[in-house]
Amino acid sequence: MSIVPIIEFDRVSKIYPSGSGPITALHEVSLGIAAGEFIALIGPSGCGKTTLMRLIGDLEQPSAGTVRVKAKSPDQARRDRDYGIVFQSPVLYAWRTICKNVELPLELMGYPRQQRHERAMSLLRLVGLGDFSQAYPHQLSGGMQQRAAIARALSFAPSILLMDEPFGALDEITRERLQLELLSIWAESDPRPTVIFVTHSIPEAVFLADRVIVLSPRPGRVQRIIEVNVPRPRAFETREDPRFFTLLTEVRECLRAMEG
Amino acid sequence: MGYDLPRADPGTAWPGQFATALRRVLPVATVILALLGLWEGSKLLFGFSDQRLPHLAALVEAMFTPIQGGTGPLLLVQMLVNAWATFRVALGGFLLGTLLGFGLAGLFLRVSVLERGLMPYVIGSQTVPILAIAPMVVVGFGRLGAAPWAAKVLVATYLTFFPVTIGMLRGLRAVSPQSLDLMRSYAASSAQTFWKLRLPSALPFLFTSLKIAASASVIGAIVAELPAGSREGLGVMILYAAQFYNSRPPALYLAILAAGLVGVAFYSLVALAEHLVVGTRRAE
Repeated sequence: MSIVPIIEFDRVSKIYPSGSGPITALHEVSLGIAAGEFIALIGPSGCGKTTLMRLIGDLEQPSAGTVRVKAKSPDQARRDRDYGIVFQSPVLYAWRTICKNVELPLELMGYPRQQRHERAMSLLRLVGLGDFSQAYPHQLSGGMQQRAAIARALSFAPSILLMDEPFGALDEITRERLQLELLSIWAESDPRPTVIFVTHSIPEAVFLADRVIVLSPRPGRVQRIIEVNVPRPRAFETREDPRFFTLLTEVRECLRAMEG
Repeated sequence: MGYDLPRADPGTAWPGQFATALRRVLPVATVILALLGLWEGSKLLFGFSDQRLPHLAALVEAMFTPIQGGTGPLLLVQMLVNAWATFRVALGGFLLGTLLGFGLAGLFLRVSVLERGLMPYVIGSQTVPILAIAPMVVVGFGRLGAAPWAAKVLVATYLTFFPVTIGMLRGLRAVSPQSLDLMRSYAASSAQTFWKLRLPSALPFLFTSLKIAASASVIGAIVAELPAGSREGLGVMILYAAQFYNSRPPALYLAILAAGLVGVAFYSLVALAEHLVVGTRRAE
């Protein structure tokens, strides 16, 4: 990439202590991610893809090497509220209505009541939950809860969206629908946030991303970076595009090659 | 994906409400009737004398008999006055104990070294029988010239703070790592994390502890009323009735019943508060 990266990894390693000796989750990972890019991280389980995402978000610190985000430390970026995070489970607070859940980050950041309510409502409409703003999380289906979690992550318009298998717990039909919705929300955002999307689904990675970063099994390193040259906007039909198939095969073979 | 919210029960018209009310009242009424039946039935079956187990009618009669040889107020009135005294002490102990439990839990959460250092004493304090401690506190406080209620409240506090500390601490820690990660990503302060995340998610745990504490505080209050020199409360009533059991057995049964009712009333108040505070939420 010729553009100045918004996220930069310079020989980053992460080693966890454990009962049976230290475990190297990531080994000397170097990469750059451009502003507004949609990146999918894929790899076998235990390859450190979630760790990589958590290092960006300052939820963990590297054992060696440096991570820079917007030319700052991840810690500073977190304090500047550059990150919106979506986990595999929606992590909505059961005692708050959907609207109040989406308002939470704004509340913590000191936005006035009226403003945060309007912002939350417009985001809920965006994710198709406008009629459910006063419902409690347990009243919604898993897909709807995850939509609310996305709305919450977007509420303060962070420049980087970290998503850790956000659709991993959903059924295939809901999952494909949410993939499309995510892409359209992302495309319509101005400026577009940079998305780091951790997944173990090959079609999901290829369908969503500009670039798919394939990590090797433990210790995790960048095995390959595959450019997804399928034009945007991507639609339901994209999944039937021959180029899409070619890329699926490419990612799959890359993953399989590492097994042997 | 289901867009349907659970709808209100269609049977909210009065026949439905009546049925719901009946469903609630029926089990309670059945149990009470069964107990009354058991009482009189066992008298009939095993031939318990009126001395060992008075008739229910005798209890009711005793309730409406004036005390002090017919010159004082009704026994029922005396019971109520004393139950109210016990309730006040229990409430005072409950509030103080809850406050102390809150403080300790918050302290232990923030400074885990303190938990390791102090928790053994907190636990140890609960293994000492309250019957042994109560007279020491009450008599000791009396010598110091403190108001009699202060010592009693302290004994009730002693029994209350422990369940609150444990439950609260457990609740404050029962937040998922991911919800803490979220708070971190919002750069929330630790005060914000406490008030917006830890405390609300601790409430269900807290109320379980508060219910235990409610009953415990009544026990504490009654035990604190037992030592010689106490003038009011159900503890005094129980002692007094026990002394005169041979001549008037119903009084002791009534005193015990009153003590139970105070406990139930207190528990119900906490349960009501729980319903009001956490009633709308369910597990995620």
